[in-house]
Amino acid sequence: MTQSTRHDQPLLQIRDLAVSFPVSRESRHRGHRVRAVNRVNLTIYPQQTLAVVGESGCGKSVTALSTLQLIPTPPGKYDSGRIIWDAGVEQSPPVDLLKLSERQMRSIRGNQIAMIFQEPMTSLNPVYTIGDQILEAILLHQQVSRRQAVEIAESALRDVGIADPGGRLREYPHQLSGGMRQRVMIAMALACQPRLLLADEPTTALDVTIQAQILELLRELQTRRGMSVLLITHDLGVVAENADVVAVMYAGRVVEYGSVHTVFDNPLHPYTRGLFTSMPLLGGDRHRLTAIPGNVPDPSNFPTGCPFHPRCAAMQGDAKCVEHDPPLLEIEPGHWAACWHVSGYDEGLAAVPDVAYRRDAATVAADPD
Amino acid sequence: MTTGDAQIAVVLDDGPNMPARGMVRRVLGATFTRTGAVGGLIWIVLLVLLAVFAPLLANSHPILMSRDGTVSSPLLSHLTAVDITLLVAFFSALLLAGVRWLMRAFKSRLSQSRFGAPGVMTWITIVALTGLVAWWMVPPRYAQVLSQYREAQVAGELDWAILAPIPYSPTDRQRDSLSATNIDPRLLLPSPAHWMGTTADGEDVASRMIHASRIALAIGMIATGIALVLGVTIGGLMGYFSGWVDLLGMRLVEVFSAIPVIFLLIMIVAFYGRSLYLMMVILGLTGWVGYAVYVRAEFLKLRNTDFVVAARALGLPLWSVLFRHMLPNGITPVLVLASFSVAGMILTESTLSFLGLGLVEEPSWGQLLNQARSAGSQWGLVVFPGLAIFLTVLAYNLIGEALRDALDPHAQRSSMM
Repeated sequence: MTQSTRHDQPLLQIRDLAVSFPVSRESRHRGHRVRAVNRVNLTIYPQQTLAVVGESGCGKSVTALSTLQLIPTPPGKYDSGRIIWDAGVEQSPPVDLLKLSERQMRSIRGNQIAMIFQEPMTSLNPVYTIGDQILEAILLHQQVSRRQAVEIAESALRDVGIADPGGRLREYPHQLSGGMRQRVMIAMALACQPRLLLADEPTTALDVTIQAQILELLRELQTRRGMSVLLITHDLGVVAENADVVAVMYAGRVVEYGSVHTVFDNPLHPYTRGLFTSMPLLGGDRHRLTAIPGNVPDPSNFPTGCPFHPRCAAMQGDAKCVEHDPPLLEIEPGHWAACWHVSGYDEGLAAVPDVAYRRDAATVAADPD
Repeated sequence: MTTGDAQIAVVLDDGPNMPARGMVRRVLGATFTRTGAVGGLIWIVLLVLLAVFAPLLANSHPILMSRDGTVSSPLLSHLTAVDITLLVAFFSALLLAGVRWLMRAFKSRLSQSRFGAPGVMTWITIVALTGLVAWWMVPPRYAQVLSQYREAQVAGELDWAILAPIPYSPTDRQRDSLSATNIDPRLLLPSPAHWMGTTADGEDVASRMIHASRIALAIGMIATGIALVLGVTIGGLMGYFSGWVDLLGMRLVEVFSAIPVIFLLIMIVAFYGRSLYLMMVILGLTGWVGYAVYVRAEFLKLRNTDFVVAARALGLPLWSVLFRHMLPNGITPVLVLASFSVAGMILTESTLSFLGLGLVEEPSWGQLLNQARSAGSQWGLVVFPGLAIFLTVLAYNLIGEALRDALDPHAQRSSMM
């Protein structure tokens, strides 16, 4: 990559993002809305992998979809916040993605920010060949002839480890296996050389060996092309292997944020700790998994104060947890948490998470080559 | 639909969890393996052939004749712009299909035929150009004396002549030329000379039947086409955007479904006179409601599917998401409705013609039925147009039913076809 880009400036900053949906059709007119995402702050630096971890329905996907303005807006609504995109090139100043028109957004989608989805089985259009679908994206964003586009598509397929790319271009999605389809999706997303890839649980629907292959592939392509990845997952193992920075989400909020090492070495939030203790240990002699008691709260009826308090082990009957929602604050350098009971939690601390941490591979790639 | 495709489909279809393989093609394949649908298709193809070759099959102008030693073809020189356009359309379609078949046979590179469909575009261009040129070049018909050749032949002025299989034009009113054959040509019963008899004006019924197939096909296809384009566009936008677009669209649907079409048509005829084109447009403008509702439902279902979100995430423009990615996955139920509605349009035209509000000069099946009311014992005027309408409506319904069954796997067992 020979791009004259600034590596020290954040690529994407999500600031105070709040997205809501009506609870149900009947109550739409009464204004009952669920905050699927509530004042989320995230920062992604160039060549960094930010993992967003959380249970189903905690707002991970909504955050990613908001970045591309892909939330269907008659039911959904962006209540507040900005998503600042700074491609780092001199001629294009930072923009707020939420303020862009549909037309401006289309030049960002697929071109600068691409996205891959959880279900490779249904993410490709069944009526067109792989080639038709990749070529359409390439011809849309790049000024190339059809012949050149075919070459780009073939090399994109070769990059994701597909043998006989020329033949695969003529095949229909159903003729490929799940892992192959996810590779095709990645090839399609990367064919236009995006700066940021949003990967929404890219391996959840695949079996374990294929998962490892796909993640390895993503990591390799990321290093090679120097792009950033927003990796959404609920698998802490995937986070440890792939991410530089991790954001733990619960009930639409970021509850803990920091570099992978900091968070994994010293989890601060009771929810994060609960997640770690509920992981099965290889070779351990426990008969039952330690689980976090209770269930994820019903989105239409979140608890008051800290949304985690009904399930929290650290709360111990503290009225503050029931009444006040703790903001996300920097507890130690490069490590943010949102809990009244974390030692050193003080409202005087910095509130906007911003970790420029990158691991070895990325640091190497950061050197202009 | 070729056997080759069917074989490939069988080989590839290796599990119950296989998602749609070229959904439209699979459904069409399943449809046209049914006897009923095949029968329907054969009848429609027959009608198309009759419509295209009508001037060659039934015409008072001899195909070739020699008069005083000079050989001429009055038939060819009297072809109208419509005749020429239809013939060119037919043969260019055959030619392009042949070219495509050859290209497939020789395994051309990356199947470009799916997306760009350059063949279809070429065909449309050729047909449109021929239509324009023909309109420009072919002079409007002055009043023709169609019995001139018959009289000349009887009088022995022709050396020889090759006549069309039915040597009567649809507007060849033989009551005007009793002198030629010296028999009263009015309301003749079916006979070897007039296969389906003649009308009260002495026109050959068989000739009129053949030429009327044009109108039957055109009214069904064009009116349904207009309705389809309108309905798919409006319904697609409603389903894709939902919200207030959907709300407005549904009110529009309700307004249009409240219009009594027959009365509207009668009124239009009263104000603007009889016109086939006006009739098609009115039928099309009022018939889109059903398609809009179907497409809306399909699009509401499709708009949140992964591949549609993925297509948007790639930054594809709205028209591509709507019509290239969503429509082919939601069009099949609409095809069912369309095939039933073509039948409905034909019936409406027949009804109007029967009521005497249809066309005056151009032959139509409904108009023949209307004439049958005062035809006395000429049963040909009742049986043949009635049978033609019945068979055409049945054919479209059989195709529609087979399409519907092919779409709904539960119905396949119970179907008798």
